Amino acid sequence: MIELQGVTRIFPNGVRALNNISLTINPGDFVFLVGPSGAGKSTFLRMLFREDVPTEGKILIDGKDITTMPEGRVPYLRRNLGIVLQDFQLLKRRTVAENVAFGLRVVGASASVINTRVQEALEQVGLSHKRRMFPTELSGGEQQRVCIARAIVNNPLILITDEPTGNLDPMISQEIMQLFLEINSRGTTVVMATHNHNLVNKLRKRVLALVDGQIVKDEACGTYAYE
Amino acid sequence: MSLANLNFFMSEAATNLRRSGMMSFITISTIGIALIMMGAFLLATMNMESFLYQMQAEALVTAYLKPEVSISDAKTLSLRLTSLEEIENIMVVTPEQAAKELFSNPDDQQLMQIGITPEENPLPTTLRMKVKAGTHLPPLLEKLKSEPLIDNFSYGEELFQQFQGLSHLLWVTSLVIVIMLGLASLFIVYNTVRLTLYMRREEIIIMKLVGATNWFVRGPFIVEGFIQGMVGSFLAIIVLFATYRFALGKLSELIPFFTASIGFEQMFKLAAKLFMMGLVLGISGSLLSLRDINRFSKSTPEGV
Ligand SMILES: Nc1ncnc2c1ncn2[C@@H]1O[C@H](COP(=O)(O)OP(=O)(O)OP(=O)(O)O)[C@@H](O)[C@H]1O
Ligand SMILES: [Mg+2]
Repeated sequence: MIELQGVTRIFPNGVRALNNISLTINPGDFVFLVGPSGAGKSTFLRMLFREDVPTEGKILIDGKDITTMPEGRVPYLRRNLGIVLQDFQLLKRRTVAENVAFGLRVVGASASVINTRVQEALEQVGLSHKRRMFPTELSGGEQQRVCIARAIVNNPLILITDEPTGNLDPMISQEIMQLFLEINSRGTTVVMATHNHNLVNKLRKRVLALVDGQIVKDEACGTYAYE
Repeated sequence: MSLANLNFFMSEAATNLRRSGMMSFITISTIGIALIMMGAFLLATMNMESFLYQMQAEALVTAYLKPEVSISDAKTLSLRLTSLEEIENIMVVTPEQAAKELFSNPDDQQLMQIGITPEENPLPTTLRMKVKAGTHLPPLLEKLKSEPLIDNFSYGEELFQQFQGLSHLLWVTSLVIVIMLGLASLFIVYNTVRLTLYMRREEIIIMKLVGATNWFVRGPFIVEGFIQGMVGSFLAIIVLFATYRFALGKLSELIPFFTASIGFEQMFKLAAKLFMMGLVLGISGSLLSLRDINRFSKSTPEGV
């Protein structure tokens, strides 16, 4: 599903954010990406959705090399990915339903398809009753759930998420994590960068630990510790 | 492009136009004012040119026939030439009449001393042709040149050259002005769209994140440019033509013999041109701003 071959990212200022990383993530995996601040977790994830390209090495998704993919193909790559970031990237002037619909609008889906899929996605995150509200009328956890609904609305193969619980309290974080587990249980591969060691330790999923741009640990049922 | 996309672009454009009312106002009025100025220049040029045409058409073309041509041949020729569409009427002037005309002027009495007498008359038979108003001369002159009986002709070359030069100068000047106005307004439209692009950065980032193509992101902006161009040029045409009519009314009050020389068809063509220019301005302003849209779409400001 996802394969990295000697991926290195050196920024123009000389920072080596990723250093010769090779690994494979299988379909249906749930992977935690842990490590101290500045370890390169976000850089790693950004490579996966072609927001950034490696200085060296290759990334294969579904067998296709996305590092050499022409810019024009990137949108089609992203339609198979769900992306959830730390700061809930919602449009404040659009309702919850409109925000979720965005993921389908860009592929030119018809109004009826959009309606049913948005409804399904909102039900999945438990927010269908708030579909007409605006993001500013929702709590942080609810906003993050809207983002998740938008990410899953077109049934992505892979869900990529960078500190989705970073701004949320422990209770809400647990709920959000539960959602990701449900999504994963339906077959979607999930790759999540997180600092939430309680949840990582509790769930016992695959853990990749990144320190100074290098993989220092890769455990199948791992814990948060990386030293 | 699917119907769903077009639908989305339209509703997005409508919402955005409403939300960023100030920006739309700036774009529309920029396009409008530029077009009013362009239109005014073009109208003035058209009017001046047609005025010049009228003046120039007053001039007679005089054809001097070859010496051996008889009066009856001259009359046949004149009949044939009268049927040309450019010619209003033709007067055949015999050498005798020409001489008489000459002698009727007291200043020319001296000519008799240099040997022109009614008996010894070196003047050729001439055809004086009055050309219809608004005729373009060169094609007619070509036709006359190919007539074997005509030796030579004169048509006030100097005046004609001057007219040509003036008309040329007029068009070049107004073309330069129109182009400069176009560029200036394009610049303003470009910057306004640029600003709205920055204001909607967040939205663009999210669109790209969920897999929108660049053309999909551009869609609503282009529709907006189209609408702004349309509204701007529509307003400009109304203002311009209302002012023109008003000015014509005033002028004909002041100058009794003044008549409007621009016909309905020409006005319609001008309106169509201005409308096209408005659309081009609106759309190209947007397109120009949107060319490097990838710069706006990276989720981190520094980009890659
Ligand atoms: N665009 C950039 N230009 C230069 N250096 C960068 C850029 N983006 C990230 N870096 C550097 O690369 C390193 C890795 O950054 P990254 O954001 O991937 O860390 P992270 O593991 O996500 O940290 P955190 O847990 O704080 O989010 C850091 O040293 C950072 O300063
Ligand atoms: Mg990070």
